[in-house]
Amino acid sequence: MMTSPRVQKEIIERCKAGSERAFAEIVLRSQKKVFNIAYRMLGNSEEAKDLAQEVFISVFDSIKDLREEGKFDAWLTQITLNHCRNRWKYLKRRQYFNSDSLDDPVETGDGDVPRAVCDPSDNPETLYEKKMIEQLIQRGLQKLKEDQRELLVLRDLQGCSYEEMSGMLGLPEGTVKSKLHRARMDLKRVLERAAHQKEEESLWIVKK
Amino acid sequence: MDCEKVRDRFSSLWEKELTPFDEKGIREHLSSCPECQREFEQFEKTMRWLHSVGEVEVPNEFLPGLYKKMEERKRVRSTKKSRKGWFDFPLPLKLPVQAAAMVAVVFLVLYLTKMMPLGEDRPTKTGQPPSPLSVGKKSEKVLAQKEPERERGTLKIPAEAPRPKDVGQAKALLPEEKKFEPTTPQAKAETKRAEAPSPKTEVLAFKKIESKEAAKAAAPSSEPGRIEKEWVVKRKSGAATKPPQEIVLKISDKERAVSQLRELVKQFKGEIVATEENGVLASLPSGSFSEFEKRLVGVSSTGQADKVIMRKQSTGDLRASQEVEKEAIGEKWREPEKVATGEVSRIVVRILLVQE
Repeated sequence: MMTSPRVQKEIIERCKAGSERAFAEIVLRSQKKVFNIAYRMLGNSEEAKDLAQEVFISVFDSIKDLREEGKFDAWLTQITLNHCRNRWKYLKRRQYFNSDSLDDPVETGDGDVPRAVCDPSDNPETLYEKKMIEQLIQRGLQKLKEDQRELLVLRDLQGCSYEEMSGMLGLPEGTVKSKLHRARMDLKRVLERAAHQKEEESLWIVKK
Repeated sequence: MDCEKVRDRFSSLWEKELTPFDEKGIREHLSSCPECQREFEQFEKTMRWLHSVGEVEVPNEFLPGLYKKMEERKRVRSTKKSRKGWFDFPLPLKLPVQAAAMVAVVFLVLYLTKMMPLGEDRPTKTGQPPSPLSVGKKSEKVLAQKEPERERGTLKIPAEAPRPKDVGQAKALLPEEKKFEPTTPQAKAETKRAEAPSPKTEVLAFKKIESKEAAKAAAPSSEPGRIEKEWVVKRKSGAATKPPQEIVLKISDKERAVSQLRELVKQFKGEIVATEENGVLASLPSGSFSEFEKRLVGVSSTGQADKVIMRKQSTGDLRASQEVEKEAIGEKWREPEKVATGEVSRIVVRILLVQE
């Protein structure tokens, strides 16, 4: 689990004072984290880029209000999640996520990936398999409820601690844990169902 | 151990958060329950997959794109601000300004609506459309005229109800009319100050002077009463049609000027249609009018009639007014007073006497 380098207190203070250089440094240090959260939450690279930029505009506008420089990362993540929630609502209203099948082509940045089924028991050794798995996970995440997706992204993709998550989501640690477990189990079920569907399809094709 | 409870602890087991004792119990259950064992395998696989997902790279030109967006925002914000401009006052400042504007609009509307009907009224009172001179001077005297106009508005009431029955009523209204006069000292001052006052203001000035004189002569109410009657008669006979000409004469002695005028009019085979407090309304055959004009100058104390008014009117309004006159003669004058019969065209002239 990779995490972006922590933004130093001193840089935040300079940014608060209006230094554009400090702001640029903050962006360069945390853009990956913000973009990745956005991408996993929305499943679309263009949307995620746009959203991440909006997040940094918000950061620029409101960094003066940040009291504890040490909590910059949590603060930034919260801003990102808020933006994601709003964007999700907006896209949902516009029927952006209207496909139900896990097998629809997923945007991965390299164009559409052909549909393929891997046996979940395989180890993701090749790059192709890795891509396939990433695609499946991304699809599975989109199937979950938004708060479940948030938990999985924060804990399993971003590697946040329960303490951090508790603070960011405003939930007790125990609740975070139990909710996270349910999210994982749901994701497991989603993946199983997808694999099952694929199996049936391939069987049907073979019979034909 | 219950399968459901075991499955609820998969996460804890996977994250190695369980106490050795708890872990041992779950492991034992898993080895004895193939269903749960299969479930845990699937769970592990899901977690493995999930954690195998690496971070994606940030698209190129992320920071430049961000700067561009911020610039655009700034521009939009600044244009919005400049567009808002002075409307963007704080509320405590905005409200009184708006209220003041509202009041101003209301007063303006009231003022304009008061002006308009009186503008129409003016010709019927003074007997002709406002002279160009008076129009020119109007702007200077807007304020001064406002007061007299209000007075005029009330005076209009008896004048516009000229039925014979109403004569008595008109008389009854006269004291009221007199009451209004002292209430406009400002107007008095204004009209006196004005060097060449418009006919309208003169009427008032004269009324005042007259009423003062009348009070001295202990015959106060007879004069306005008579005027009122004359107005009524005039209306009835149709002479109330706009007198087309108006001549201003400056005189020193009014009585003498009036008698001089009477003679002069007789001399030209005309007649005095009405005597007003500030002048005389005379009807003259149009043929002898120009001669009459010249002679009129003799009556004036300064040796001149107000030619500005005359000339402008005689060029523009003469023909039209004559036509009006003919019409009036044809329709109304025939029966009650045989002022004019047949083809002889007449000019009605109002001679305003200005006391020096």
